[in-house]
Amino acid sequence: MSDQNKTALDSESNVDALDTELSTWRERQADAWRRRLAFLKREPMGLAGILILLAIVLVAIFAPVIAPYEPTETDYGNSLAPPSAEHPLGTDSAGRDIFSQLVFGARPALQIGLLSAISVAFVGMNVGLVAGYYGGYVDDALMRLVDFAYGIPFTPFIIVLVALWEPSKWTIVGAIALLLWRQTARVVRSHVLNLKEKPFVKSARTVGASDRRIIYRHIAPNVLPLVFLYGSFAIAWAILTEAAISYLGFGDPTAVTWGQMLQSAQQSQALARDAWWWFTMPGIAIMLTVISAFLIGRGYEEQLNPELQEP
Amino acid sequence: MTLLEVNDLHVTYAGDPAVEAVRGVSFTLEEGETLGIVGESGCGKTTLAQAVMGALPDNGEITGGEIIFDGQDITHLSNRQRREIRWERMSMISQSAMNSLDPVYRVKDQIREAIQEHRDVSDAEAYERSRELMELVGLDPDRVEDYPHQLSGGMRQRVIIAMSLALDPDLIIADEPTTALDVIIQEQILYRIKELQRELGNSMVMVTHDISVVAETCDSMVVMYGGELMEAGNVDEIFNNAHHPYTLGLQNAFPSVEGEKRDLTSIPGSPPDLSEPLEGCPFASRCPFAAPECEEKVPVREPVDGHRVRCHEPVPFEQIRDRSGEDETWLSQNKV
Amino acid sequence: MGLKEFVTRRIIQIVVLYFAIATMLFFLFRAAPGDPLAAYIGTGFTQEQAAQIRATFGLDQPIHVQYWKYMTSLVTFNFGLSYITGDPVWGIIQDRIWNTLVLMGTSVILAYLIGVPFGAYLAWNRGTKRERFGVVFALISRSAPVFWTGLLGIWIFSFKLGWLPAGSMSQPGVTYSSKLAQFTSPSFLRHLILPALVQAFYFYSLPALLMRNSMLEVMNEDFVDFAELKGISDFSVMLKHAARNALLPIVTAFAVAAGFAVGGSVVLETVFAWPGLGREMVRAVIANDYPVAQATFLILAGLVLVANFLADLAYGYLDPRITYD
Ligand SMILES: Nc1ncnc2c1ncn2[C@@H]1O[C@H](COP(=O)(O)OP(=O)(O)O)[C@@H](O)[C@H]1O
Ligand code: SF4
Ligand SMILES: [Mg+2]
Repeated sequence: MSDQNKTALDSESNVDALDTELSTWRERQADAWRRRLAFLKREPMGLAGILILLAIVLVAIFAPVIAPYEPTETDYGNSLAPPSAEHPLGTDSAGRDIFSQLVFGARPALQIGLLSAISVAFVGMNVGLVAGYYGGYVDDALMRLVDFAYGIPFTPFIIVLVALWEPSKWTIVGAIALLLWRQTARVVRSHVLNLKEKPFVKSARTVGASDRRIIYRHIAPNVLPLVFLYGSFAIAWAILTEAAISYLGFGDPTAVTWGQMLQSAQQSQALARDAWWWFTMPGIAIMLTVISAFLIGRGYEEQLNPELQEP
Repeated sequence: MTLLEVNDLHVTYAGDPAVEAVRGVSFTLEEGETLGIVGESGCGKTTLAQAVMGALPDNGEITGGEIIFDGQDITHLSNRQRREIRWERMSMISQSAMNSLDPVYRVKDQIREAIQEHRDVSDAEAYERSRELMELVGLDPDRVEDYPHQLSGGMRQRVIIAMSLALDPDLIIADEPTTALDVIIQEQILYRIKELQRELGNSMVMVTHDISVVAETCDSMVVMYGGELMEAGNVDEIFNNAHHPYTLGLQNAFPSVEGEKRDLTSIPGSPPDLSEPLEGCPFASRCPFAAPECEEKVPVREPVDGHRVRCHEPVPFEQIRDRSGEDETWLSQNKV
Repeated sequence: MGLKEFVTRRIIQIVVLYFAIATMLFFLFRAAPGDPLAAYIGTGFTQEQAAQIRATFGLDQPIHVQYWKYMTSLVTFNFGLSYITGDPVWGIIQDRIWNTLVLMGTSVILAYLIGVPFGAYLAWNRGTKRERFGVVFALISRSAPVFWTGLLGIWIFSFKLGWLPAGSMSQPGVTYSSKLAQFTSPSFLRHLILPALVQAFYFYSLPALLMRNSMLEVMNEDFVDFAELKGISDFSVMLKHAARNALLPIVTAFAVAAGFAVGGSVVLETVFAWPGLGREMVRAVIANDYPVAQATFLILAGLVLVANFLADLAYGYLDPRITYD
């Protein structure tokens, strides 16, 4: 064996070796994915979540094709029309088509959900990794920062930020990201504290790997499942929060969002006017999107935590 | 009088694959006596003990045979009937006894709970009893006020022993009651258990992987391997006159506390996978004396004076015993 | 470390945290683009008039003086004057603190009373259809935004059935001799039912799902098996051992739940026109009434911290292993 290795200078065997290495690597990756996705078979709820989310993503992408009207197109002659063949989910007080608004509303909801989740996962993971790995003062300082973030009332903070700056998608995402990383950071940190003591990390340290390399090559891959889990919860929180902010009137006034639909429904006395199609549908849309994220996260969680698995 | 009789007991764990952990074990236990069940880890001892106690894990089921306790068939009891026997007539000190105390209640409340669940006694009486029990197991009675985390591992183990005595049961099953403790405390606790058993006159089943413990504490013994009984009988008889290569191997592997010091040789290899059906002798793959016939049919021999052996004895047993005493016999196995 | 020392230390920590949050808020408002008095100082004002208005609100002073005054207000409750009405801020919000506490307190208590037993029930029935259904139901509650279920509740119970009032806290025009008299009046309770239930319908899912997970974990512990072994009845084992131990993480989560509850008041109170801190804050932010907005935020933050502190104490009480260090 060792002889072969020494003489393996001719390019052909090198390429061979590389090839087999690459194919075993590919197999391993495929295997890892198969394992990661295997939970779907055992977790019908997780599968349901993925299917719902997929459907909503498709609706968002093909919104212009699916929606029969421009979502902002008014028709005052036809205001508050109940569901009909012409307007499958009726119209609002300005005669805008509810169904088309719902379809287009999927876009900001998903954008905000995904962007927030990515930022939350990114910040939370890094804070948790650094705090857990370095310990000591760094850890103390970062954990006080987490306490700080936990002490701030969530929705009021977002309202203040969005109202003081401009009411855009980006401000909302930024505001959510500014607070919601706290949970991910805490969970990742406590996980890192355990991982740090594992032999593979210790041996990496003895061979002189840099801190950065140890953190991102050796530790980070092991906390990714957790980050993914809290990321999926962050999608749900972000969508709920954005809807609440829009409902309260702090959303982007030019955007068509589900929260805003509910706000205008309430302000236009949709309840008293019995226009149920106007104020039920956006809520159902929010609920479906949010629950898909929760279902995915929960299915995944059951897989991560063997104690929760059914016997 | 016979207190406990186990006949051809089979226990299977459902799952993928299913595991048949006990495969036709029989023994009897006389009133006031102590029976040792010995074998390496993974041989089905705990399963056997739990089956007798009616405390099998959810996926475990008795698939054959019977358990007779004080004349009553208790193989398949309803939960309610079972609860009446449990603790009142039969108690258990389990392998994980150290973690068996609920962290949020004081010791006195946990002992009281056990007593009052079965007997109609006042709080004050139960409290008195709990202090008495603490003294019995060699603990300061005032420690009944403590929470479990305030006690050391050995103390917690003693509390569990105290609890197992709370209702003066006919039978106490001790499943490796000291494995988790350090050696000195193991000694103390084993000694205490034995003493109490003698004083109080309960019967006891002592499960252990350490054959020297059996020598010290038991009257009769069962040697288990691969879910099956290998050898059984009176302790003196077996220690002086063991026939089975596995028993002899175990004797080589454990120091007897009082006996002469000598090098220990463990049996190379490990117990069989119990999810597989076994034909022939389960020990065959590790036995230095294995002969072709050992692989074929299950060896059964007629008991002599209650001494039961399940071995073909391909060579005369005197020879087996002599050669088992030599390390060479076992070590040469390793090379194969 | 004794309990006393632990409590003192926690209180100091919380006070420091509180001042840190207040500082952040101060600079958040100063750093915001635009003139805070833009809404107040119309185009018709002369330079002098504008300057005078600024002086009234203390905005002419150097920033460190403003900061000092602001920080002392945390202790004196002298939060200055509303930009809109010119009234003292404390007078505006004082009353509303109680209104918010009663509404949110009721809903959080309801949520825990429903959620904890529900979660225990789910754990006990693990692997069954009932459990699966229950979990999905809890997730649905968790996914339905409060303002939407609130609207549905109003539509059904006020507009359609006419059983309950659609909003506000009491009948207009009625006055009470004290807050207590008001909170115990039948009319108030009628107004309280719908918002409290709507919020509880959201909140119960957190303790329920946590309790389920926590129970499932505890049920694997040796001491639960041992309790069964002792011949304790199934029900007692579940209640006295499994549930009792499973409760510990739920208490920790109470701090988070209370934090969300306090923050969530902005939404719930807006839906039901409940005259509390949350609604006042939304109103103030929309009207650029910065002193009121800041003060309500600070009080809400204070409530979150107090809830955290109470959860810490409760945890120490429930878990004998806590040693306060
Ligand atoms: N709950 C269970 N489910 C499936 N297999 C089990 C279970 N408990 C024990 N086993 C298996 O049964 C066999 C015997 O285990 P056990 O009775 O604990 O042996 P011992 O006490 O002698 O070490 C082992 O192979 C073990 O893996
Ligand atoms: S000699 Fe044969 S039957 Fe006896 S123990 Fe060895 S293998 Fe089993
Ligand atoms: Mg065992």
